[in-house]
Amino acid sequence: MGEEVLAPMAGKIIKMNVEVGSEVEEDEEIIIIEAMKMETPIYAPCDGKVTKILKKEGDEIEEDDQIAIIE
Amino acid sequence: MRPYFEKMDPFGKELKKGELKRTESNIKEIKDAEEVIEEAVEKIKHIGLPTEKINSRGQMTVWQRLEYLVDEGTWCPLHSLYNPLDNEEGSTNVVDGIGKISGKWAIIIGFDNKLMAGAWMPGQSENILRITDLSKRLNLPLVWIVNCSGAKLPEQEKFYANRRGAGTPFFRHAELEQMGIPILAGIYGTNPAGGGYQSISPTILFAHKNCNIAVGGAGIVSGMAPQGGFDLEMAESLIEKAKTHKAKPPGSVKTHYDSTGFFRYVYEEEKEVLDGLKDYMKDMPAYNPKFFRVAEPKAPAYPDDDIMRLLPIEPKRTYNFDQILARLVDGGEHSEFRPDYGPEVYTGICKIDGFLVACIANRQGYLGKGYPEYADYPGIGGKLYRQGLIKMNEFITLCGRDRLPIIWFQDTSGIDVGDIAEKAELLGLGQSQIYSIQQTDVPMMLVVLRKGSAAAHYVMGGPTANRHNAFTLGTVATEIYVMHGETAAVASYARRLVKEKEAGNPLDPVIDNMNALAEKYHEKSRPLFCAKHGLVDEIVNLKNLRKYMVAFTGGAYQNPKSICPQHQMILPRIIKG
Repeated sequence: MGEEVLAPMAGKIIKMNVEVGSEVEEDEEIIIIEAMKMETPIYAPCDGKVTKILKKEGDEIEEDDQIAIIE
Repeated sequence: MRPYFEKMDPFGKELKKGELKRTESNIKEIKDAEEVIEEAVEKIKHIGLPTEKINSRGQMTVWQRLEYLVDEGTWCPLHSLYNPLDNEEGSTNVVDGIGKISGKWAIIIGFDNKLMAGAWMPGQSENILRITDLSKRLNLPLVWIVNCSGAKLPEQEKFYANRRGAGTPFFRHAELEQMGIPILAGIYGTNPAGGGYQSISPTILFAHKNCNIAVGGAGIVSGMAPQGGFDLEMAESLIEKAKTHKAKPPGSVKTHYDSTGFFRYVYEEEKEVLDGLKDYMKDMPAYNPKFFRVAEPKAPAYPDDDIMRLLPIEPKRTYNFDQILARLVDGGEHSEFRPDYGPEVYTGICKIDGFLVACIANRQGYLGKGYPEYADYPGIGGKLYRQGLIKMNEFITLCGRDRLPIIWFQDTSGIDVGDIAEKAELLGLGQSQIYSIQQTDVPMMLVVLRKGSAAAHYVMGGPTANRHNAFTLGTVATEIYVMHGETAAVASYARRLVKEKEAGNPLDPVIDNMNALAEKYHEKSRPLFCAKHGLVDEIVNLKNLRKYMVAFTGGAYQNPKSICPQHQMILPRIIKG
């Protein structure tokens, strides 16, 4: 079971820096959400490979929505 | 109180590989932008006559004098780009800052003798006002390097008279002296009229052998009563008179050392004047730092280069302020005040060079579910809400009680707005904060890390709303405006859009105006604009922020007018619980 990347807040995904298969390092910026006029980056919670992406750029998301999985 | 301060709570953490990778581009953007500022400052240093020309006359430039006078590594320039009345020369013709002389902090200012022999220029008196205020606020001696040819006559209407005009430094010198703050003046060159008063108003005068100071210079002495205009005969007569007086300008050392004794000392060599100032600075009233230090000075726990990674230059990007602060304060240690309340604001006590300071800052990013507690909408850092304002009011009040200097870090988009926010008393709490600040009477320094906006710029230690702001720094990411340009465009043109739409008119002209207004806001909020117009006192490289914090803190503790014994401080005990 991989590590889930969850939305910290409601907003809109404006940038997805990774795709399935991307290798990431812990704390690397992988997704950017826009909410309340500010851009909030989401960082990789661990080193690994992105195995699943459940949302795409432009999607509106709710807090705690699953966005990706890193293994 | 050693257990409270010797080893405080560690905070911040080392940057991880991923963080280093994703911040590479930000470092480059910050460095590029800092280079633009550095180039602008460098240009100011080269205005007027070349250094070689001044040196060939046997004189040093103001820059050379400062370099010789100020202790190495301590100079923190201020107002380098200040030019509020847009002088074509790009400067107000004074060079100033805070630095140490003979180991003691001083506020230092000198006329730029490369440009019009150090003339009064438009905007200069405002610059000097900032410096006399700084001296007053930090209770530090003011050291002048006088070399002032008097008013730039063709533009006298812009600065000669008025409530804050060019004569006010003399009154302000008197005011500082009334308060017991000494003013030392090293005097060079020809100083007639305004230059004469500039020379005579300080407390002790150190003269170079070739200087002169006078009520009026050779030009005025050789002048004549107005006769309705000039003709050739009068011009010839003027030439003769001017030649005579040029040979013997009034107020030389012979007059003001031998006869009046206004000059306390006269020196043969330029450097000896500065040695005289250095010698007097040794005896300036100052506590030994150990009197107020709470611990041995320590370097920050993490590299200062990291700050260029941690502060996104892109204004919409959120970041972790605590990580930045950990790279500015001694040992990456602090004691945070009410960490579980008002999450949009950081309040805590830290050490700078072994001295205690209070730090207050906006935090950034999402503030978590259920906050602000009074609203059904989410809160985001940079904005101020009820709890943050209450927390700051409490903290400021306790800092006043414990006599702790305050360093503010702003990156704020404003105070929460709307009827819900009104019911939560934010208008009243904002003004309460202005009152709390005013009550403290402790020195404060402000860094506008990125945004300084709306009333939040006032209530968070801004220079606009209190007498306690010693100076304000900006960074290359700074932008200061009443609101974002696009918000202003909406506020200004939304109704117009409705009217035009209802009238069936094209909307393009209104949209063009909206874009033009937003663009104007952008241009007039940028770091160079802020520095030129005095919205900040200096734009500082992120790596140099701590240097200014050290100067501010050391200055604030050098000779404070009011003290709180460490063992009688209440704030550390409240934090401990």
